[in-house]
Amino acid sequence: MQIGTAKHSYQADEALLTTRPQRVWMALFAASLCIAPFVLDNYWLYLACLVAINVASATGLNILTGYTGLVSLGQAAFMAVGAYTVGWMQLNLGTPFLLNLVAGGIIAAAVGIVVGIPSLRVKGLYLAIATIAASFILHFIFVNWQSVTNGNSGLTLTPASFFGTPLTEYQQLYFVFVPITALMVLGAANLFRTRVGRAFIAIRDRDISAEVLGISLLRYKLMSFAISSFYAGVAGGMWAYFFRVVTPESFPFVYSIFFLAAIIVGGMGTILGGILGAVFMTLVPELLRFGIDWLTPVLPNAAAMLSPVRTIVFGLLIVGFLIFEPKGLAEIVQRSRRYFHLWPFKK
Amino acid sequence: MLSFTRRTLLALSASAAIATALPAVAADDIVIGGSIPLTGVFAFAGIGIEAGMQDYIKIVNEAGGIQGRKLRLAYEDTGYKVDASVAVFNKLTSQDEIHLYYGDSTGFAKTINGEIDRRGSMIMAGASFATELNDPKAFPHQFMAGPDYSEMTGILLEYIAKEKPGARIVLVNSDTEFGRDPIAATKARAGELGLEVVEEIITPPTAVDVSTEVLKLRRARPDYTIFHGYVLAPLPEFMTQAKQLGLETKFMGTFWSMDSSIWAKVGEAADGFMGVMPYRYYYDEADNAPMMDRIREMRPEYQSTPYMQGFLTAMLFTEAAKRTLEAGKELNGANLKAALNSIENFDTGGIIGVPISIPGNSIPVGRIYRYDASAQQMQPASDWISVQE
Repeated sequence: MQIGTAKHSYQADEALLTTRPQRVWMALFAASLCIAPFVLDNYWLYLACLVAINVASATGLNILTGYTGLVSLGQAAFMAVGAYTVGWMQLNLGTPFLLNLVAGGIIAAAVGIVVGIPSLRVKGLYLAIATIAASFILHFIFVNWQSVTNGNSGLTLTPASFFGTPLTEYQQLYFVFVPITALMVLGAANLFRTRVGRAFIAIRDRDISAEVLGISLLRYKLMSFAISSFYAGVAGGMWAYFFRVVTPESFPFVYSIFFLAAIIVGGMGTILGGILGAVFMTLVPELLRFGIDWLTPVLPNAAAMLSPVRTIVFGLLIVGFLIFEPKGLAEIVQRSRRYFHLWPFKK
Repeated sequence: MLSFTRRTLLALSASAAIATALPAVAADDIVIGGSIPLTGVFAFAGIGIEAGMQDYIKIVNEAGGIQGRKLRLAYEDTGYKVDASVAVFNKLTSQDEIHLYYGDSTGFAKTINGEIDRRGSMIMAGASFATELNDPKAFPHQFMAGPDYSEMTGILLEYIAKEKPGARIVLVNSDTEFGRDPIAATKARAGELGLEVVEEIITPPTAVDVSTEVLKLRRARPDYTIFHGYVLAPLPEFMTQAKQLGLETKFMGTFWSMDSSIWAKVGEAADGFMGVMPYRYYYDEADNAPMMDRIREMRPEYQSTPYMQGFLTAMLFTEAAKRTLEAGKELNGANLKAALNSIENFDTGGIIGVPISIPGNSIPVGRIYRYDASAQQMQPASDWISVQE
């Protein structure tokens, strides 16, 4: 809770960005996102696009798990549904890529609703197991529905094109993915200023009380699954345009764990947490490469010797965050904000 | 006021030394890039591949390099994940001018193909022998340092047709893109050679309990059982249970399940396992195999089959670059691939027992080896077999 921010209107109280420094930082962040594609090289642009995709999917999972309290380990499978939908439409219908992305989201949302039905009876670990089962069923469909998914060989997509220009370079894709992700994150942030979002939170906090308050569990739990899967579907669609090959092995089960870890590390139930978690999980393994790079001059074959260490360090970092900052990276940001809010009058 | 303790000064000077030290690289080095799995499920292969490539590069550099230009391997770990492989590709190509690249998987080869074609600046080989990649039209800048998976099973079938005409065969494949790759081609080729595929068994890639599958095998009573799409498990379990049931079938595999150090750990049950191997084994004694002698000189201990694959890939990269530069041409994808395809009756120094040609994207040559558990070695069971059309 931030003190010293007295609001004079309901509008100010409901604003997404409540303080001036927040608005300044957000403006700086938006400006840096606009400048980034002109100053980053191919490697960093690749990572920026990958981060955008992962942020979109992690935000979706955060809506379901972080805000509604429904644990899901099916996010990767929902992404796969979006990716296959986009791939199939691209190859068979030749429809514009933005339409394909929306369709990918809608089909994934429909599948999400079906997968979400058990959430009406089970929750917690039991629901997680149900979503794992759904992942395996979907994987079976991807492998065996040959006419649509092309089996194990999968689909190879042509690049997305914008007014006849094929989007083959990471810089071009950045200008597509980052705005889409920004819109999705903004949508998620706004969702929790509406009745729907608050119903999700009520269900998370105590579902029986929520029902007593007149919140239909059937409707809102399935809606949460649908929205979360829509996010995953769109993210999967972007993934398909990014890598341009979709196979049943493109979205392994461990990818679902990746997203769950992302929202836990970032901070469940906060929009910022989903973003920071996805950034952390995507970028830290890459940043650790530079540690190896720095050691290469003094330690020949550092890559071969230290790569396993890199994996261990990444694991330890995650464990470290869980122990020392169980509320996630978002809490560190909040604490910094509180500290600087009254600075220098507070120790 | 700032004050430095001796420890701080030492730490600072050590950091400065690390920060300012530069790797011994020259601007005109010919760099081979590599997305190599050093961790994860395929790490055993990546470690061997890296060592093999480094050793061949060392040999070339000690001999003066290519037209005076040194070779260098710039590589990073991928964990055998496609997104990490692409990240490594982008990182390395942002840091160095790269014309030769080693990729770690079929998924990566397919994913990066469009980018390699778009850049037109390099050729790529890798750990994948996927049949799909053996198409110079669809993958014009890629090749594989050996036969593709369909050609591997083709070599096995040639051997079987000679040993036992009309033999009954069962195919056991993992339920992956890798596993299912050669099924259609194997069935077609078996038909052409008068062999009978009596059963197809698909298992999960890491199957543990295979008793149901072994019963299918028992019903089919095959002369030969060909595995593909595995490294080791569940092959030993299949073989042990089949022996217990008294089945006479001969078990065969393809390249990635042919490393003898893996089978040595299995013990007696591995005896008699056969398979196709595109390269000589580390311990193979042969006349006119100077490269094998050189490898044993450089590394006195056993080197794995992925090592041989990495070694030969580096050799072919070098040959393509050498031919391109000797022709006074620029190092780019089209010139390097044309130079590679000009390789005809090329002597690999004994890595492959016959001269090789690369008219397309593969080298369709291999030899059948049989595992001898008492010697803990793979022994040649046939001469070199070519399935080049």
